[in-house]
Amino acid sequence: MKETVSKSWFLPEEDNRHQYNFEFMDLLPLGSYTFSSRLILGTGKYSDIRTMLDAVRASGAELVTVALRRFNREQMEDDLFGPLSEIGGITLMPNTSGASSAAEAVRAAHIARELSGSPFVKVEIHPNPQHLMPDPIETFEASKILAGEGFIVMPYISADPVLAKRLEEVGCASVMPLGSAIGSGQGLKTSGMLDLIIRESTVPVIVDAGLRSPGEAAAAMEMGCAAVLVNSAIAAAGDPVAMAGAFSLGVVAGRRAFTAGLMPKSGHAIATSPLTSFLGKEP
Amino acid sequence: MITIELNGCKQGVPPGSSVSDILALIGSNGKNAAVLVNEKIVRPENRSTVFLHEGDRVEVLVFAGGG
Repeated sequence: MKETVSKSWFLPEEDNRHQYNFEFMDLLPLGSYTFSSRLILGTGKYSDIRTMLDAVRASGAELVTVALRRFNREQMEDDLFGPLSEIGGITLMPNTSGASSAAEAVRAAHIARELSGSPFVKVEIHPNPQHLMPDPIETFEASKILAGEGFIVMPYISADPVLAKRLEEVGCASVMPLGSAIGSGQGLKTSGMLDLIIRESTVPVIVDAGLRSPGEAAAAMEMGCAAVLVNSAIAAAGDPVAMAGAFSLGVVAGRRAFTAGLMPKSGHAIATSPLTSFLGKEP
Repeated sequence: MITIELNGCKQGVPPGSSVSDILALIGSNGKNAAVLVNEKIVRPENRSTVFLHEGDRVEVLVFAGGG
């Protein structure tokens, strides 16, 4: 027999007092720019440009990373500038990947700005291809120079609260500590250090690298990260476009949870239902 | 012919070639590319008036996918 539930248990349809306002303003400030999306997308590793473009659209990302590479007539499809320009509302954030010193990163940033016209630069200096860990000394030097030149500098760093503070002090618009190694999908291995960085920072903290699932993106946002940067988790997913949408939802859910305020943790159980005066028991 | 280094490879080009000529030679429309000659950026408006010499190092760079 089919169960029926009285409509009276629910709010009348016209009563939307408890509907969540998904349009509320919670902008991400970066330099003199603001973004409504807190998901930043990388464009590497996609099987083809069309999938990448569809993933960017599905993600709702407004800030998108690209890398500088030599022109190759045999690989014309590598040129993403034209295709990305077709998507409205996108700001490019070129990275300095490939640089192994501050001088190379500064040079790459200048070339990228010439090409993109964007003031954003993701400072990324990882000299060892085996682990791709960022070089803190070269990253600091390059960030300091580029911030002094007026770039909106977003340095990719290890989850080091001391370095994060020093980068903030030299004018970086954000700090982007890694969750785990680039492309590893190992998630938020650095959560303890990320927590310290978030507590100490006055600039947005963006987790960059290592995330595998929308749940991890949500967890990062719940911790108080201002945004997440995701590439491999979407590009290497079974269905990258669907995964881009899922990450978008994860980031929104995590951010809303953070702004709503998570309940305090307790070391013991705290009943949600009354435990006294139950069916004949004494109060 | 003179020999230049184009994106790390030796390349023979006619004497008097401009940066624009090089872009046409390699099949780039130049619109989405940054060009450096001997590590100096050559802006789009100067590409037809910057001429190459023996041994010049030319880099033509584009945006590719990256995270």
